[in-house]
Amino acid sequence: MSDALIDALNPALFWEYRLVLLRGLAFNAYVFFAAAAVALLIGLAAALLRVNRARPFRWVGTLHVEVFRNAPDYIMIVWVHFVLPLLLGKLIGQRVEFSPFVSAVIALGFVYSGYFAETFRAGIQSIPQGHLDAARACGMGETTILVRIILPQVVRRMLPEAVNQFVSLFKATTIVSLIAVPDLMYQVSMVTQQEMRPLPLYTWAALTYFVVIYLVAGSLRRLSEHWRQKIYA
Amino acid sequence: MSNWERLVWNQRGLLWQGLTVTVEICLLAFALAIVGGLVLCLVRLHVRPLRPVAVALIEFFRATPIFVQLMWVNYVWPELFGWPNSFFTSGWVALGLQSSGYLAETFRAGIEAVPRGHREAGYSVGMSSFQVYRRIVLPETLLTVAPSIVNQFTVIVKSSTLVSVITVPDLMLQAMKLVNVWYEPIEVLTATAIIYIALVFLVSSAGKALADFHRRRFGLDSA
Amino acid sequence: MDAVPAIRVVDLRKSFGALEVLRGVSFDVPRGSVVSMIGASGSGKSTLLRCINRLETPSAGEVYIDGEPMGGRLSDISRMRRDLGMVFQQFNLWPHMTVIGNVIEAPIRVRGMRRKEALALAEECLARVHLSEKGKEYPARLSGGQMQRVAIARALAMQPKAMLFDEPTSSLDPELTDEVLTVMRELASDGTTMIVVTHEMAFAREASDRVLFLHNGQIEEEGLPDQVFGAPRSERCRQFLSKKLQ
Repeated sequence: MSDALIDALNPALFWEYRLVLLRGLAFNAYVFFAAAAVALLIGLAAALLRVNRARPFRWVGTLHVEVFRNAPDYIMIVWVHFVLPLLLGKLIGQRVEFSPFVSAVIALGFVYSGYFAETFRAGIQSIPQGHLDAARACGMGETTILVRIILPQVVRRMLPEAVNQFVSLFKATTIVSLIAVPDLMYQVSMVTQQEMRPLPLYTWAALTYFVVIYLVAGSLRRLSEHWRQKIYA
Repeated sequence: MSNWERLVWNQRGLLWQGLTVTVEICLLAFALAIVGGLVLCLVRLHVRPLRPVAVALIEFFRATPIFVQLMWVNYVWPELFGWPNSFFTSGWVALGLQSSGYLAETFRAGIEAVPRGHREAGYSVGMSSFQVYRRIVLPETLLTVAPSIVNQFTVIVKSSTLVSVITVPDLMLQAMKLVNVWYEPIEVLTATAIIYIALVFLVSSAGKALADFHRRRFGLDSA
Repeated sequence: MDAVPAIRVVDLRKSFGALEVLRGVSFDVPRGSVVSMIGASGSGKSTLLRCINRLETPSAGEVYIDGEPMGGRLSDISRMRRDLGMVFQQFNLWPHMTVIGNVIEAPIRVRGMRRKEALALAEECLARVHLSEKGKEYPARLSGGQMQRVAIARALAMQPKAMLFDEPTSSLDPELTDEVLTVMRELASDGTTMIVVTHEMAFAREASDRVLFLHNGQIEEEGLPDQVFGAPRSERCRQFLSKKLQ
């Protein structure tokens, strides 16, 4: 083995900074959960607009989806962090500033709301009309039908797709270091500047993310499959 | 003179330069992704002894965030392998590798979806396995996976913004440079965001139209 | 016999755009009686049934349930739908709920019944369709005939004044239709008020009190089963039956 490879695979340095790095990984998780909540809420709202009977509502929903699905995460994060506060400031005539964390959550939340909106819409539209007829024939009101018949099925139908999107979202949280959210990648670059040994640090950062994502994604997929199979045998 | 004119229109030469770099990077990465994906997929399916290696690579490329992979290729590979020797190369290689992992799985699903009978029909008229692959399995696969390939290309375009972090002078980097000169981010960043959104929209619409045209030629519904 | 019929349909009309599907249909369903509706596909049978519980809004005409006119605001319609159990051709069980879950859903959510009561009621209803042992299964695990029987139990659990059957055996394999028809016969002999849209001529003849033959959105022939099947007056009905009974 070459010296470089041995150096790259040596975990000692990475282990030495484990506490700082673990705190960094926790920040990835915070950003992920907050952004996921934003994405789900706004995604559901956009999906309901897209299946609305009134055409203007559908247009707004479609515009939302097209803009955010096609926007690169990075430019959106930068835009939300540097431009949005200025625009809001002009609007209310007051200085506005977002912390990096808030910017990251808003940007990632909106970008992924575009994907979730499409998944929700597909889920809603895949429910057979007959299920709704049966509910109406029992005398259920429209709210009861939405809560008891439509949403539970939508959630199950969109699960596999949603798991993929959650995984993508988690991966996207690694770029929040670029606006100085102190996540794992940010800490790695800080330690690198101190120690001047990028080889083991970046290698082990990559391996850490790989293991975390691989395990979490795998078990989420198995869980969602298990749950679905009970119903769609 | 409006800000838009001063900060965006008068800088169009610079932005255009950045856009060409972005396009170059994306095309190179896409080519690598297709070739790499095909190789990984075929090794996984047909080269028994190397199968675990292919599976490990596919899973690693897929489960590692693109930004992490980019930094890893950029900082670690040159010392490890003496290559890539430029940021530009690191950029498209990292983008291409990640997508090759995804495409390998896409291709595999496509190949496995080709009905066995189609292959047997090929053998029964005396084709060799290579001929069956080249003339029957791969064209049929391409037909079913075309939409996923288009989608993967849009992912590459979106991820390409990150190569600016390793100082590749793409559209994103030029925009950030302009922001740093004047500290007036509103117009430049908004214009850049719109350019990117339009670019990705264009790529996905054109790709979808192409894939649909291709499918319709064979009497299939649009995907 | 009761003066007020369980269901009274008066001059019901329904058009989809330029297409007139129902052209003025009137009939009564006395309490405890079974009315079968036969006719070719596209004759308007299913639309008629769906207009009765307002899954389709009629273009004109009235439907009375126990003398009360069906219609008005959505909440009124919902309230009156409780009294009409409906069984669909496609079963339409809710796949995310167990068999028991499907049966107790409406009694709890719509009738406001307590869970314990609803469960006892569900047991009873499932026993009537001979599926007591399947309560914990999900619909996807059942055969078509079992699914349809669960759908019947679900409708029964609302303790409706009348049951509407919309081609309940048409999407079943022939060997599975009998178990569903058996349950329906039992309901009929228990005195359940039923309207049955069906292609099962034998069932229509044996189990019903009256038979309506629909053609082109109108009642072309109507009478006692033996009369309609034995000596149909209308030429079209005769042709239809001879094709069916071949």
